[in-house]
Amino acid sequence: MCDIIWCKDCDTVNYLDPYYFWNWEGKIKCAGCENVYYIYMIQGHMYKGPEKKPGEKEDILPVYADKPNEGYEEILPGTEGKTRPYNCLPRHIYLGEADMVKFSARGRPVRGWRPQPPSTGVAGSCGFTWDIQKLSPEVWEEYQEKVKKGEVGDW
Amino acid sequence: MKDQRVTRIEDLPGPKSQGELEEMKMPYEEWCRKVFAPGQEKTKPESLKGIRWLSTTMYIFTPHSVANLAELGAECIKIEMPRMGDPMRHTSPFNECYLYPLHDSRPMTGTGLGFTNANSNEYYITMDYHVDEMKEAFYRLVKLSDGLTECYRPGTFDRWKQSYRYLQELNPRFIYVWGGGFGYGPKVFGGSYDILGQAHAGLASVTGFHEDFGGHCTKHSNWCIDWYSGTQITVAMLAALYWRRKTGLGTMIEFSQVQAATRCLGYAAPLYGRFGIVRQRWGNWDTQLCVHGIILCGKSDYPDEANPQLKYEARYVVVSAFNDPDFKELCAIVGRNDLWDQYKTLQDRVKPEAQMVIYKALEDWAADKTRSEVVKTLTDAGLLAMPVMNDKEVYESEHFRQRGTIRWLDDPVFGDVLIHSGYSCGLMSKTPRRVNWIWRPVGADNVKIYHEMLGYPMSQVEQWYEKNLI
Amino acid sequence: MAQKIREVEINSREDTLPLMGPDVRPYPVTPPPSQEEVAAVYARRKAEEFGKWCEDNLRIDYAAAKPEALQGVRVLSCGQWRMGHKFGAGLLGELGAEVINVEPPEGDPLRKLTPFGREEYMLEDKNGDKCGLDFIHELRNAYSVTLNLETEKGRELYTKLAEHADILIEEYPPGYMDELGIGYRQLSQINPRLVYCWIGEHGQWGPMKDKVSKFGQWMLDPFGQAACSFIHNTGFPEDLLPRGKGGDPTQSGVWFADYVAGEQTAVGALAALYWRDEFSGEGQFIETTAAESLMDILDFDITWYGFNKSIKARTGGWDPNLNQYAWNPCKDGYMMIGGQTDRLWYRIGMCIERELPIFGRLIHEDPLLKEMAARNALQALTKTYTMTTMWLRNINRVEAEEKLMQYEIAAGPLLYIDEVAEFPHFKYRPWVNVLEDEEYGTLMYSESTTAYQMRTPGRVKWLGRPLGKDNAEIFMKYIGLGQSELRELKEQGVV
Ligand SMILES: [Zn+2]
Repeated sequence: MCDIIWCKDCDTVNYLDPYYFWNWEGKIKCAGCENVYYIYMIQGHMYKGPEKKPGEKEDILPVYADKPNEGYEEILPGTEGKTRPYNCLPRHIYLGEADMVKFSARGRPVRGWRPQPPSTGVAGSCGFTWDIQKLSPEVWEEYQEKVKKGEVGDW
Repeated sequence: MKDQRVTRIEDLPGPKSQGELEEMKMPYEEWCRKVFAPGQEKTKPESLKGIRWLSTTMYIFTPHSVANLAELGAECIKIEMPRMGDPMRHTSPFNECYLYPLHDSRPMTGTGLGFTNANSNEYYITMDYHVDEMKEAFYRLVKLSDGLTECYRPGTFDRWKQSYRYLQELNPRFIYVWGGGFGYGPKVFGGSYDILGQAHAGLASVTGFHEDFGGHCTKHSNWCIDWYSGTQITVAMLAALYWRRKTGLGTMIEFSQVQAATRCLGYAAPLYGRFGIVRQRWGNWDTQLCVHGIILCGKSDYPDEANPQLKYEARYVVVSAFNDPDFKELCAIVGRNDLWDQYKTLQDRVKPEAQMVIYKALEDWAADKTRSEVVKTLTDAGLLAMPVMNDKEVYESEHFRQRGTIRWLDDPVFGDVLIHSGYSCGLMSKTPRRVNWIWRPVGADNVKIYHEMLGYPMSQVEQWYEKNLI
Repeated sequence: MAQKIREVEINSREDTLPLMGPDVRPYPVTPPPSQEEVAAVYARRKAEEFGKWCEDNLRIDYAAAKPEALQGVRVLSCGQWRMGHKFGAGLLGELGAEVINVEPPEGDPLRKLTPFGREEYMLEDKNGDKCGLDFIHELRNAYSVTLNLETEKGRELYTKLAEHADILIEEYPPGYMDELGIGYRQLSQINPRLVYCWIGEHGQWGPMKDKVSKFGQWMLDPFGQAACSFIHNTGFPEDLLPRGKGGDPTQSGVWFADYVAGEQTAVGALAALYWRDEFSGEGQFIETTAAESLMDILDFDITWYGFNKSIKARTGGWDPNLNQYAWNPCKDGYMMIGGQTDRLWYRIGMCIERELPIFGRLIHEDPLLKEMAARNALQALTKTYTMTTMWLRNINRVEAEEKLMQYEIAAGPLLYIDEVAEFPHFKYRPWVNVLEDEEYGTLMYSESTTAYQMRTPGRVKWLGRPLGKDNAEIFMKYIGLGQSELRELKEQGVV
């Protein structure tokens, strides 16, 4: 009926992402249970299906699904056996939240963590220095250690 | 007064000294290194010394038009809304990279990397300029500056009595730029983003794989069209400065980002206009040359790396052999001399049916090879090919390091930052571009500008700040 | 209205081409909105007075009667194949510079290129020579002269022309001109005020500098696009579209890196001119490359690697930094919708929910989607755009745009060039315009982006140029070559 499959057996909504499935025929497994559905989509419309195919092997898994009636419980991309992995990411681990970084890729201090100490400038003004040794002595210490260990490079 | 009977060496063409003579004889590459001298930018003058420009801009498109000036040595002042700042400060890829300054009231709010490179070298002040109380300060800035770039909805600055209609009275030399999506006309109030420009202007319709191959229209990475359009504003601004030198008069420039994306469509408009043919997308191949495209190789160059961008994606190669001898050689290398027999002219091979056969043959050949094997085989044979490079490879490229177009910057406020902008816009032998700092915190230069430049007493500045006007 | 009936016989596609020309199918097909209609738009936001001021001062219709910003700047442009020098010189030419394009006697090979090799899409000049549309469209307001730089005489004439130039934009393989004795090193001795710009793909020096193949073939875009990570970062991920069917790194549909290099060359050249005239009287040497100038505008991509070793991945028609901010398929194409702040996010949602109630249930009520930054997570993008497309698949682009405009959402259809040409705002400006060219007849083209100015607007005077059309004038004017000498040089293959 549409490009979600709301499986009545396990009350899970499987999202059929618009590009992959825009024109697609095949079998997709529900992320919440073992149901396999045959679908045939043309221009984003369900031309045939979803039709349960008990005992048949699926062609693909959804990339994301959730359970709106159970507090929108998420079945995230790459949940084994349930959703297909999403590989095209900038790293092998997906963060989705601020990465608190104290050192750059070459090991020198960069102000990528919070909170930082309060400012003292008038009207929010600020000079052209970052006295890290005074403001964040622990990061400065850590940096000295890194220098000693040879973890700080030019590139 | 020069004695006309004497021939002086400095009046003759050619080298004037031993040093210059040696320079003339130097191997070309060595000489290029010497004249551009990456890393020595600060020992040379700035092109736009003495120009002062105001930037009441947001996002990427209009800020970039001013950042170009700032990198060329103009003094640029970015004006942001008090406390909030440019909305671009709140964007960061997948919400994960922020830099945090000293804070006054929002210790948990940093500036996202989405803000990077768009406002380098500028001074940052805050002003709620639609409040009457700030009008005088705004006008003072206008009187002391050469120009301004703004991006508000048309009519907004006019309502606040700071459109060009008003400002040209204060400063007839003033150059005023409005940049936005559409400009005067039926969609004048239509908002715009980079992606809207790409979609609206026809650029997206020619980018990506054709639907017959299963593909969809594809967005140019990130906000390319915003940046690209911003640079064209800079061209117009510099031309206006040139004309002002002669006449003493400023101007107003209205620039539409959506239009700029139509400008780079090449033959699309004339082809449609004359023949009614609508240009389509053609994926990773070229509509006018073959072989000149990107092929997929069977194996990644880094099968054991954890990062999926290395493990799965390092498999694409640009192959270019469109001239007859190049194509002939390529056919021989991939063991398909029959293709050469079949497609002996460019006109033969550039036909869609031929391209499908030829690129398939290349990918079949590459199916059991890694990307670097393919590149090596082809370049060893004297043909043109290169890997499709990713961010890591670009960072590690010795080429860009030597040229100074990627470099680490010890930012005065944020510390160690890698930059790939500014220096990369073009090397200049005598007045090179430079990046002094990536950006500054919201309002970081309020005292410097309001007090030191415009002469307002400190108490006034503090009072404005408390009232949230700056 | 009675329509004229024409006798037409169509046996092949070629027979249809004469039926499509501007004489039988004038542009625009339907007239643009009238100024009165547009005035009503301004009035809706109480900007009638300002709107009128803009129309009176900025309209392109008045451009031709205004002065030109770069009048008196002389630009020599000399290159082959690529767009960089043509676009860079074209931007300066639109703003009033005098542009002289130097080609070898056999012409820039780009003249011979035409989509899919179709000669019927090339245009004939009055001499009967055919020229491809890319070349015609990008060579703007330029004079065409020919010189064989492989001959000593050709180099001598080139040098003499360069003596008169303010800006020279050259696009040949690295060191080629220097070896011939007509590079910056030599020309700056003769004309120290010359601003000399070189454009290439990767550079004229350095480990990855531009190469030619052993048979002499040049590197062209996308070598620039590939070297800066642009291609790697563009296209659909394999997870959203199968690899080999669009789920691959994707190049721009145009030679985009060349265009970016061209515009930055124009910026560099004008800045250098400013410094020359204001301070020093000296010219200089500028080197711009497609790879680096495109890299300059890749946002934070390389910076991100320096931050935590991330390698940007491609995301197709979506954006990993903003939600909603994407185009997705709809009934008759693709629809772009943007608006990420809470205010805009819920407005988009209200518009969709009105017709697709389940959107409210699955999107608005989901607690995970209530926070702006969290909406950029991958799963949030997948969910949002799946649901949005459920709405879009039932409606056309125009309908979607109308509905979203009621909620003041920045939304727009993804348009093809025929639709671009007929889009009301585009034809009102007009951004796709037509001019009657002396040589090639009525041409449709993308209008100059700098044409909307109060005092010194840019303008397109002519497009393309027959090869060597201006030899006689230019060589007489700047070098003093007479007719008979020119004839001799032609026989010697110099021009
Ligand atoms: Zn189920």
